[in-house]
Amino acid sequence: MYSLKVSNLCKQYTETYLFQDISFELHPGEVMAISGWNGSGKSTLLRVIAGLVRPTTGRVEMFFKGESIAREFRRRFVGMVAPAFSLYEELTALENLEFFCKVRGIGYDRESCLVIMEQIGLSESAGTLCRNYSSGMKQRLKLAQALLHKPPLLLLDEPGCNLDSKGMEVVENIIADQRRSGMSIIASNERREVDYGDRVINLSK
Amino acid sequence: MKGGRWITETGSSTYLSEAVAIWFRDLRGEFRTRYAVNAILMFAVTTLIAVSFSIGSFRIGEGEQPFLYAVLLWIILVFSALSGLSRSFVKEEEASTMDVLKLSARPQAVFLGKLFFNLTLLAALELIIVPSFILLMDYKIELPGLFVAMVVSGGVGLGGGTTIVAAMIAQASARGALFSVLSFPLLLPLMITAIKGCEKAAVGTNNSGWPEVRIAVAYSVVMIVMSLFLFPLIWEE
Repeated sequence: MYSLKVSNLCKQYTETYLFQDISFELHPGEVMAISGWNGSGKSTLLRVIAGLVRPTTGRVEMFFKGESIAREFRRRFVGMVAPAFSLYEELTALENLEFFCKVRGIGYDRESCLVIMEQIGLSESAGTLCRNYSSGMKQRLKLAQALLHKPPLLLLDEPGCNLDSKGMEVVENIIADQRRSGMSIIASNERREVDYGDRVINLSK
Repeated sequence: MKGGRWITETGSSTYLSEAVAIWFRDLRGEFRTRYAVNAILMFAVTTLIAVSFSIGSFRIGEGEQPFLYAVLLWIILVFSALSGLSRSFVKEEEASTMDVLKLSARPQAVFLGKLFFNLTLLAALELIIVPSFILLMDYKIELPGLFVAMVVSGGVGLGGGTTIVAAMIAQASARGALFSVLSFPLLLPLMITAIKGCEKAAVGTNNSGWPEVRIAVAYSVVMIVMSLFLFPLIWEE
């Protein structure tokens, strides 16, 4: 139903190319992994795909039943987790999810949010302010936020960041679940996370 | 969990419902942290007390009071607003929540939500400062209706102007200075108009102050409509 087409993507800062000529297509059920050294542009590539950063050249197109989705709307079809992202620390975990439900226009359903909280292992601390969360708990909540609208495209930038072994199981389950009907792109240096990908783009080359 | 993919249901949301969600989130956050409220009210109250003690009602001749009091009142309101209203966007940048918000909400809804939040703060500021100023300075107002209309329309214009400038400076490094420097020329015409309108309300010779209210309303409408068109360009990279 949904598909992603990345064509000749290039990002340049001053005179340095972060990455050049990145092209691939992604279809439902597929997982793409992006690896590379620190500073090779993995996170920037994900931000470009999400529509948060404009590429220097090239195109990112998302299709729904063969019709292209405009860039400004593409963001809403994307769920993204990144170490640089934060959620609202002055709100509780459940209030954060409530806000993102409402602002995404999917309607707030407390029960559905509690189910997601259970899936990521935070059901017992749903009413705790996020500022009191550990870094691993915050990472889990970021995953919940990204899954809230069941996005066709899931972008995971270092998804295992700060997570313990149980947290990594949660990530594995999320990727397996997404594989059933959606697309995923994982950017990481961790061997275990890169191995989730059916295909790998190495930006170090 | 609901059946099907929730993403298909986004069409039912409106800009207004998204804006209200952002407005309530900001209010909830502000209620718990009080960053902007503290900055604005501390500035406003200390300035008001300094003005009332140093000038009082007896240092200014009766003929000059309507004009000078209007000037003092709007100086307090504008500079108090400048001390805290940039927080609406700056806090998103400082807390690294900007990108998640960009992925979740439409730009116009973000602008409207932040505008509603800033207008709420300004309403609270005016509700506290204006009556206190009138009492402490023994400010005689002959046409209260005109005065209230001027304060309200001036406040809306002030909110519109400061919200769009706050969005522009949020990603800059010297945010505080830049906010005042950019806001001041933008707000100066409104400030001059509001001072004239309040002066006429205090003198109360006739209803000739309403043109100032109309100018402030027109300023507010133009500022908000233009901001709604311009904001997506600022919000994008």
